[in-house]
Amino acid sequence: MSYQEKNITVSLFSHLLIVGYYLSQLFQMQQTGGLVAAKVFSLWAVVIVGVIIVNIIGNILTHIMLSIVHAIKTRSEHVEKYVEDERDHLIGLKGDRVSYIAFSIGVLIAMLSFAFGQPPLVMFCLLILSSILAEIISDLSQLYLYRKGF
Amino acid sequence: MDKYKVKNNIRRLRFNYDEMTQEQLAEKVGVTRQTIIAIEGGKYAPSLELAFKIALVFGVPLQEVFSYELEGDEK
Repeated sequence: MSYQEKNITVSLFSHLLIVGYYLSQLFQMQQTGGLVAAKVFSLWAVVIVGVIIVNIIGNILTHIMLSIVHAIKTRSEHVEKYVEDERDHLIGLKGDRVSYIAFSIGVLIAMLSFAFGQPPLVMFCLLILSSILAEIISDLSQLYLYRKGF
Repeated sequence: MDKYKVKNNIRRLRFNYDEMTQEQLAEKVGVTRQTIIAIEGGKYAPSLELAFKIALVFGVPLQEVFSYELEGDEK
C-alpha cells in the first residue's frame, strides 16, 4: 500500500467517524423533541470544524507513524521522501469529480425534500450529510482506482 | 471499433539494463514505485513527458519502450 493510499484510508476512517457522530447526534435530537434550528446549526459548525481538524491531525499522525515505521524497518536515520506524481494527481482529480457528482445528487435530494413539504431544517441536515458522504465516496473511488489502475 | 492499448517493454528493458529495480527506475524518472508497477502491468498509460523520461533512462527511442497495439494482440 503506497503512502497516498494510507493517507486516503486515514481520511476515509476520519470521515466515517464524523458521519457516525453526526448521525448519532441527529438521532438523539430526534429522540429528545425534534430538530431545533439552534442545535442543528451548532452541529453543522462542529461537524465542519471536526472534518477539518480530524483530517489535519490524521494526515500529520499518518506521516509521523509512517516515518517511524520506515526508520524501524530500515534501521536508518534517512528520512523517506513521499513523492506525489502525475498518477496521484490524476487519481485525486478523478476523486474530486466523483465527490462533486455525489454532492450534486445530495443537494438535489435535499432540495426535493424541501419541495415535497419537509421542513427547511431537514434540507440543511441532508446538505451537510451529503457533503460528508460525497467525501467518503470520493475516498472509496480513489482507493478503488489505486487498486485497479486506470 | 477496435480497442487499442498502450503496451510496454519496461520489464525487459530493466532486465537488460543491469537488472534495474522498479525502485531505481522510479527514482530516476521522479515517480513512485507504484506508478512504475502500474505502467509495467498495463494498468496506467503514462503522460508523454514521463514516457520520454523512461525512454531516456534506457537510452532507447520511445517506440522501443511503448507501443500502441490492438488489445489482446501479443508480440
